[in-house]
Amino acid sequence: MTSLKHGVNLSRRACRQAFALVAVSTILHAVQCSPVETTTKTNPSMTVDGISTYPGLGFGPMGPVEPLPGEPPGTQLRQNQDTTTELPTTEKTKKERTFVIAAFEFHRVETPFLIGLWIFFASLAKIGFHMAPKLSRMLPESCLLVFVGVLIGALLLSTHSVHVQPLTPDTFFLYMLPPIILDAGYFMPNRLFFDHLGTILLFAVVGTVFNTLTIGASLWACGQTGMFGCTTPLLDMLLFGALISAVDPVAVLAVFEEIHVDEVLYIVVFGESLLNDAVTVVLYHMFEAYTEMGPSRLVYTDILAGLASFLVVAVGGTCIGVVWGFATGLVTRFTNEVRVIEPIFIFVMAYLAYLNAEMFHMSGILAITFCGITMKNYVEANISHKSHTTIKYTMKMLSSSSETIIFMFLGVATVNNTHVWNTWFVLLTIVFCSIFRIIGVYIFSAVANKFRLHKLNRVEKFVMSYGGLRGAVAFALVLLIDPTVVNLQPMFVTTTIAVIYFTVFIQGITIKPLVKILNVKTAEKRKPTMNERIHERCMDHLMAGIEDILGKHGNHHMRDKFKRFDNRFIRPFLLRNYQGAEPKILETYSKLAMRDAIEYMQRNASTIGNISGAESMSAIFKNYTNTNFNGSPSFSQIDTSTWNIDMQELEYNPSKKDLTDAKIHHLLAEELCKPFRRHRRLSYSRHAVNERDLGIQVNYKTHMNIRRRVGDRKHHHKRSKRGKQDGKNHVTFPEFQQNGSAKQFTHGKIKYYRLDYIDEVLQEDGEEREVRRDGDDGGITFTAKSPLPNEDILEEDERRLSDDNDNYNMIVAEQARVATPTATETMLPWKREEAEGSGALKQSEFPSWASNKEYLAYNSPSSTFLGGIEKPKHPKSIIGLFRRESSSSTQGAAEAVVLSDSEGHRESTSKGEASSKDGGVRQGPSLLSKRSTSLGGPSVLLMEDVAHSDPLGASSRPASIMQGPQRGQCRRGSMMELTGSMSRDAITEEKCCKSLPESERMGVRRLPLGQSLGREPFIRQLTLASSLTTSSSSEDSSDENT
Amino acid sequence: MGNKSSLLLREEEIAQIQEETGFTPNQIERLYSRFTSLDKNDCGTLSREDFLRIPELAINPLSERIVQSFFAESHDDRVNFLQFMRVLAHFRPIKKNRENKLNCREEKLRFAFSMYDLDSDGKISRDELLAILHMMVGANISEEQLTSIAERTIIEADTNNDQMISFEEFCRALERTDVEQKMSIRFLN
Repeated sequence: MTSLKHGVNLSRRACRQAFALVAVSTILHAVQCSPVETTTKTNPSMTVDGISTYPGLGFGPMGPVEPLPGEPPGTQLRQNQDTTTELPTTEKTKKERTFVIAAFEFHRVETPFLIGLWIFFASLAKIGFHMAPKLSRMLPESCLLVFVGVLIGALLLSTHSVHVQPLTPDTFFLYMLPPIILDAGYFMPNRLFFDHLGTILLFAVVGTVFNTLTIGASLWACGQTGMFGCTTPLLDMLLFGALISAVDPVAVLAVFEEIHVDEVLYIVVFGESLLNDAVTVVLYHMFEAYTEMGPSRLVYTDILAGLASFLVVAVGGTCIGVVWGFATGLVTRFTNEVRVIEPIFIFVMAYLAYLNAEMFHMSGILAITFCGITMKNYVEANISHKSHTTIKYTMKMLSSSSETIIFMFLGVATVNNTHVWNTWFVLLTIVFCSIFRIIGVYIFSAVANKFRLHKLNRVEKFVMSYGGLRGAVAFALVLLIDPTVVNLQPMFVTTTIAVIYFTVFIQGITIKPLVKILNVKTAEKRKPTMNERIHERCMDHLMAGIEDILGKHGNHHMRDKFKRFDNRFIRPFLLRNYQGAEPKILETYSKLAMRDAIEYMQRNASTIGNISGAESMSAIFKNYTNTNFNGSPSFSQIDTSTWNIDMQELEYNPSKKDLTDAKIHHLLAEELCKPFRRHRRLSYSRHAVNERDLGIQVNYKTHMNIRRRVGDRKHHHKRSKRGKQDGKNHVTFPEFQQNGSAKQFTHGKIKYYRLDYIDEVLQEDGEEREVRRDGDDGGITFTAKSPLPNEDILEEDERRLSDDNDNYNMIVAEQARVATPTATETMLPWKREEAEGSGALKQSEFPSWASNKEYLAYNSPSSTFLGGIEKPKHPKSIIGLFRRESSSSTQGAAEAVVLSDSEGHRESTSKGEASSKDGGVRQGPSLLSKRSTSLGGPSVLLMEDVAHSDPLGASSRPASIMQGPQRGQCRRGSMMELTGSMSRDAITEEKCCKSLPESERMGVRRLPLGQSLGREPFIRQLTLASSLTTSSSSEDSSDENT
Repeated sequence: MGNKSSLLLREEEIAQIQEETGFTPNQIERLYSRFTSLDKNDCGTLSREDFLRIPELAINPLSERIVQSFFAESHDDRVNFLQFMRVLAHFRPIKKNRENKLNCREEKLRFAFSMYDLDSDGKISRDELLAILHMMVGANISEEQLTSIAERTIIEADTNNDQMISFEEFCRALERTDVEQKMSIRFLN
């Protein structure tokens, strides 16, 4: 810092002396050659120490970091100076000293920078592959990455720039492998894994030993013939066999993730690749030790020791993992106050488990796998939903990026000058690997089938043997061999690389088409339905019971037993919210319920109006109107209260969809909120992300889903109505024909209203339509104007519906009144979704959602209004109204949440209002007051929104200012929520700007608030304000229109 | 079956059971020894108490239903060996060459269905499902939640809108489930 300042001062002086050019050049040089010289010269005491080590040399780009012990970071600067001064700036260095304003120092950051660069380019390569879908469909990603790695390696080799081995065993085992294995363990399908544990163990232990011995012995036998041209001691061959026979989890994951085979097949191969690590490690160390000892001194006790060591390594690793897993569960039990650091425990403790196992030369892979498997259930129950998401994505990110890097480095490592290519050895190794893999699989699957319910068939056996890929683990292990002990190490390295390339390229590429040709059962990724979940659970119990009756201790029996033990002794200690006997079921149910709720809504959204893609527009239309007309009286009775109480609304018979909405509300209230809230009851902390955000997030998402669904449906409607326009044969509902042109009409109307707003209200009923018609395009024909009141009402409803649609399609219209809604829709799909959704919302849904606190926190107009219904208050001023509305809405929400499932409650509360309102409103004379009061709704909204959006809306500034803090109150500051609220804002804005011009229509629907508030002066105020804002917004719109 | 006095099965009985259930003679003998060990009274039939004496079964949440399924065909609350074997035959793994009417997928499903169908009217009503859920889940979940779970489950499976799950609907709901695997036990030879 000081040096920089110093430099700046000096350079300033230099500029004054008109040495500007020199200064510039010095700066450039400074950038080139990292001169921290000002520091060093001004503080001569800091120089020297004589350590001329180039700090970067200590580090490979990814190599083990060798920090110079005891050195403060500053010393590195010193060293830099020694080397950098040699750079060809000798002439100007004297001046440079004085003119540095920007310094460049690469070596200090070299290691992390290079690491970052590697990761960056590897990930970039990964993106690149998916840009070329053809390529990525043909080749597995791992192949492409290796290929890119080879290219980079060749580049590096040709430039002689870096002579480093990026993939060192330590780097691999300490940093790259753990994330992948943790990911595998944590997301391991536990049940599947343990169901097939026997088979997996058979393959992992016996199979690997078999492969090792056979490959080693065969190679040794071939070596005896002298075909390799070098001596091949048996132990060396066995050592090589040990490392080459292990199926590699990274490679298997990379390939099997892409081919989506049947889950049983997947778990068997993948489980084998995970669990054989213990065997590999033991065999490897065993043979390594034997080699070092020399065959002559080998006694049978050593072999027994090897066996014992296998047990120790495997069991020890597993135990360490399990213990750390339980510890993680225990720790997360107490993290409810510090939610933000929850995820780190999962990663750190799993990593510690890994290192801990490695520390004792036990199987780290086993440790971290079982740590993940163990911790998962307990951690999931303890942490917040958000943390869960964080963990999931972080884990996926880490594992996939380290996988990317591993394959890339594998490619890079291939390119060097030290290869010892022995064609026979390579060929025979590949052949033996393949042959013995196949033989092993067939032998052991035959054995396993004796004990398996699900017999492995021939195709599965083939895929299993073909999927035995070798990978980076073997490579890292072969690098670990000490060349001084094993002379053949370079040849081993080359051969290992060749085998890896063979498996990754040849097998990796061909496995996909082979799986298709052989018609291997492929896994279908799907979420279980409620029925499946319940019935399967029931079957589990049933089978456990039958096993008990049979006196057989099978899988079900064991699982049952463990579950009982778990529930009795483990869960109470590890879980914060111990739920009793079977919390897993509860968890599953709530998860499922959420999933199911979404599914349910999806399904219903598509079936509500009996709308399907196949149906004709007119059918949809008829359906819709029929439901409106012919809905049973009981329905209307039930649901009136959930609607805006209005003259028309009384006559409005809710469609099936509305009823479904009510159901959805039930679902949401009961299934979504309750079970999930369980996790965040106690979670308020300043240091934690507010848990309510999470709640909002979750529910918000769901809501958006619903809304989108419903919105989609509405979209259908709209389209259908548009279709009607051309048809011109629909007599009953002329209003439908306006939908397509509602916007143009709107523009006309804005000015119209601006002229004399209040007065027009009286005539609106009659004139409104005419106005609209004027605005309509010529092509639209009104075939009839129905005089019947109920048709009027229907029209009103339909019109509202359609207007809503258009309103929301015109989200952007706020800023730029785009002429065509379709343009807006296509340009801003996200807005469209929400817009349409909110259209649906306004129509009928908000009452059913209102009980969701989270939703209300968005301060959406509907919630506000509902709040108004629930708690009518009498504010003195606009400010008061704003404040109070928000508060009342939240209060209302709280209440509603309490009531949650009982819509009847709300019904009853609002029914009184409803009845009182409806009497007056329905009559013609009261229309004026109705209209004017109804203005309250839109205008309130408008003020709130114009402030945010309308640059010209100066008149509404005060309102916006008032609005500001209140909004801030409601938002609780997480990014997620901000985005959510932003989009919500968009909706509201959109709604308002649109609703104001058509305020009488909107107003009708908003009436309940105005009515329940029942304060004329206030409303007048609002009307004033709204008319002001109208003018501004209309100016806006007209500007943009022209 | 007249095995009250002797612990040994007669040849023709074995043959009859084998014919009917598809078990091998070895399996039949093995199961018969289990049957007799459960039969504490040595009367050749099992009572409910005999079943519930199995400790693990007693704490199985669905023990009542499981045991009941054995008594579906009996009229006197006793289960003889043939009936016992007939029930167990449902859980034999399906083999391609040895097709048997008792262990086909539909029979397995029917058995699972009968777990729910408390009043054996061929339909799962909301209350029946709720009762089973109660047994499985216990008191963990609040009543409303359980109810809504049951309701939704029914709505999900219910295709003819009668608020009940018929056997056909049940099968359709479990279409993608590997019932053959899930409801099979490897009987030792």
